[in-house]
Amino acid sequence: MNLNEENPPMAHTHTVNYSILGVPGAVLSYLVPGLGQIIQGRISKGLLFFFCINGLFYYGLALGQWKNVYLPHANNLPPMSLPLNQKVPNCLSYRLQYVGQFWVGISAWPAIYQHFNYDEDSDPPPDPYLGKYQRTPPETELNLLQNRSDRSWDLGWVYTVIAGVLNIMVIYDALMGPVMLIPEKQKPQPPKDLN
Amino acid sequence: MEQVIIPIIASGYYWHLPFLILVISLVYSATRHDDWRIISIEAYRWGMRMLSFLGMIGIFLYLVTLIP
Repeated sequence: MNLNEENPPMAHTHTVNYSILGVPGAVLSYLVPGLGQIIQGRISKGLLFFFCINGLFYYGLALGQWKNVYLPHANNLPPMSLPLNQKVPNCLSYRLQYVGQFWVGISAWPAIYQHFNYDEDSDPPPDPYLGKYQRTPPETELNLLQNRSDRSWDLGWVYTVIAGVLNIMVIYDALMGPVMLIPEKQKPQPPKDLN
Repeated sequence: MEQVIIPIIASGYYWHLPFLILVISLVYSATRHDDWRIISIEAYRWGMRMLSFLGMIGIFLYLVTLIP
C-alpha cells in the first residue's frame, strides 16, 4: 500500500502550494507574524498569529516599561567567546535576549537601528523619529529598573523572547505547512517476515 | 486571628501568566494543525498541561515555605 497515495499524512484543510508560496510566506511571516499565512489564504490563522505574537511581544515590552528590547554596544566590557573559541560580538554576548527577540520581525528592528546610529556611552540625543524607543538605557537606569521594580522588567523580556521563539514556529508553518503527526493507523507497517 | 496571604495573590506578576499560557498553547497548536476544531482541542490540552505543571511547581514551592 502506498501511504502517500491513499492516506496523505499532510491532508490540509486549505490546499497551499508550499513550493511556490512557502518561501515568500516564510519571509513575510518573519517580517510581520502571520502575514505569510494570510497571503497563503489561511487568513484566520494568520490573524491569530498576528494578534497573539504581537500581543505577547508588546505586552512584554510594556511590562518592561518599553526598555527591555535593545542591542547594547558594550564597548567597555571584555569580549566573550564560545566553547570552541569562536568570538561573539559584544552586542549579542551581553544581550543574548535579543537573539530570541530578533525573530519577532520588524517590531524588533528599531533596536538594530538605534544600535548602529547611536552609542549609548556618549549620551546621544533622541532620534527624530524613534526617540529613545528600543535604545540601550543608561547603566544607572537599568540598575534602577532591575532593583526597584517588582521583577516585571525581567518578566517582560521573557515575554518578548518567547514571542520571538514562537514566531520561528510560525515561520516554519508558513514555509512547510503545519507539522502534523501521522496518526497511528496511517503509519507504514514494517514488512512481515516471510520465513 | 492571623491573616494568611496566599503567595500567588500577594505577588502581582503571577497574574500575567494566563495570557502567556493562552498565547503559547494557541500558537503552538495552530502551527501543528489547520483545522480549527483540532487547534482548539489541542490548545485546551496544552493549556491544561502547562497550567497543571506550573501549578504543581507552585504548590511545591508553597509547601517549602511552610517548612519552619
